[in-house]
Amino acid sequence: MIKGDIFFNLSVRSVRLNFLRSMLAAIGIVIGVVAIASMGMLGTNMQLEVKDQLSSSANTIVISSDSVRMGPPGFTPSSSTASGVTKTELTKITSVVGTNGTVIPVYSTNGEFTISSVAGRGSIYGLDPDDIAKFLTLNQSYGNGTTDLGLNEVLVGADIAENFNLKVGSRIKIGSFSSTSRPELRIAGVLKARGTVADGISTDNGVVVNSKWYTNQYGGENKFTQVNVIVKDVDNIDDIETALDTKLNTNAKVPSVRITDATSQLETETSTLSTVTTFIMAIGGISLLVAAVSIFNVMMMSVSERIQEIGILLSIGTEKGEVRRMFIYEAFILGLLGAGIGGISSVIIGYTVVDAMIGTTAYFFEPASILYVPAAMLIGVVVCVISGVYPAWRASNMDPIDALRSE
Amino acid sequence: MTDTPLIQLVDVTKTYHLESGDFTALDHVSLDIMDNDFVAIMGPSGSGKSTMMNQLGILDVPTSGKLSISGKNVAEMSTLERTHMRRDTIGYIFQKFYLIPLLSAYENVEYPLILKYKKRDTTGRAHTLLEQVGIDKDMSAHRPTQLSGGQQQRVAIARALVNEPKILLCDEPTGNLDSKTGYQIMDILCGLHREGKTVILVTHDPKIAEYAHRTIRLVDGRIAES
Repeated sequence: MIKGDIFFNLSVRSVRLNFLRSMLAAIGIVIGVVAIASMGMLGTNMQLEVKDQLSSSANTIVISSDSVRMGPPGFTPSSSTASGVTKTELTKITSVVGTNGTVIPVYSTNGEFTISSVAGRGSIYGLDPDDIAKFLTLNQSYGNGTTDLGLNEVLVGADIAENFNLKVGSRIKIGSFSSTSRPELRIAGVLKARGTVADGISTDNGVVVNSKWYTNQYGGENKFTQVNVIVKDVDNIDDIETALDTKLNTNAKVPSVRITDATSQLETETSTLSTVTTFIMAIGGISLLVAAVSIFNVMMMSVSERIQEIGILLSIGTEKGEVRRMFIYEAFILGLLGAGIGGISSVIIGYTVVDAMIGTTAYFFEPASILYVPAAMLIGVVVCVISGVYPAWRASNMDPIDALRSE
Repeated sequence: MTDTPLIQLVDVTKTYHLESGDFTALDHVSLDIMDNDFVAIMGPSGSGKSTMMNQLGILDVPTSGKLSISGKNVAEMSTLERTHMRRDTIGYIFQKFYLIPLLSAYENVEYPLILKYKKRDTTGRAHTLLEQVGIDKDMSAHRPTQLSGGQQQRVAIARALVNEPKILLCDEPTGNLDSKTGYQIMDILCGLHREGKTVILVTHDPKIAEYAHRTIRLVDGRIAES
């Protein structure tokens, strides 16, 4: 029973006697715990959010022409208009997939547009109107829209609609700002927000046009930027990918298409995020190191102020181990104080930071995220106890005669 | 009483190695102290009284010679055994009381019991002893700094007695007290001697030394008169 232990009582009283000093030392631990916990939680929340968003398109295989693509999915360098997935390849894809999924050929480029004389920039996707409803949904709160796009109609992404305050029936001009021909299209619908997706179709800051209008405007007919395959059973995804690879990439040395899915993108994104998280947490760890020095200092002060008391304890028959225990307890109490305050603060600060930086706290109380709090608290306490080991050892090894004589 | 001395010093020498050279604080001292003796050790400053007390209190070990307490050779004991002997066999009463400042008077008396039995005292022994030395329950809740010198020394005596030691080692027990309080403390010590304790007393004061049955005079680390 630690509470009935006289050495624990002595340590509590010593901390109370030097309350200000003890609290100042404990603040170091508070900062360290908050730094580690909130940074860890922030990183984990980012990972969880990305994971959730990407997994919504986990059933999608993306087949693109195997040219070097710079930039995010959906962005295609202008030079690549010559390449792309060909009609022959599309036929092969359709035959491989058969009834196991849906094949959606996609044209896309990056372009400029003008809405009520304000210029914008974003992705332009050309899709067969029949394919649109297969993976995109409309947000009908902007007016009663339709995915059955006519030649001069367009669907706009959620961010554009919100930023430009658009409605179904508004007009949008597409084309380079300097170009003379800037055809005007009617907005037939507003798409729901998709967030980060792994299928290469980030419509939030983009527009979707009829594929016929797209090829009329940009050329490159039957040279698709990418072909998406939405598989029916996600467990078959690896088999279908293998079959596609065998069929399409006949020359293993010069593969003609690249086949990816959400899993590979998820791996890249989460590993980047976790590297960054670890790095930031290491910086938080440095603050704990500084805290350890100040705890060590306070413990050494406590020992040297109580030399005579240590002398009394030793001379009337206190075992060395008991004296050590008393000082370890003191360091432990400082650690508990710091970690306790730090734990509460990290929940509050972490919640605020996650809310501010990610925009959602939906993942905050997930075990992977909230467990950073007890973990950081534990680290804080352990750091304190370790800092107390040498001062405790020094106290227990004093010569009782010398210690008694000191004033 | 048995014929074997409770404390036996045979040719005990204690030398300190100082920067200015070796200093012999005790020089071939031989002495027997029997059970239920009342011994006063006197001598001028630097005569080796404190060194003698440290030896008898086994806070230190002789450089040469042999010191036995209850038939055990101190030099052959481990550090832990010596700690346990200090706890169980010897009661210390110091000039400056040396109570533990963070503990109440009661807790100071209870402390050696906790050291020995590794648990809080439930027998009420600490309270009984405090009452015997004239500290009431109200006062025993106070910290040492809130007590007078005489009260502190009474608490210290109760603490020394709580583990029922055979030997009471008193280092100038009245040195920090006015003479009236000093005599009261001496009366308590005399009573303890009558109850069978072996009392060893270091003092400057010849009047205090008169309470003892036997006086040992130290001069330059040697026994001048016994």
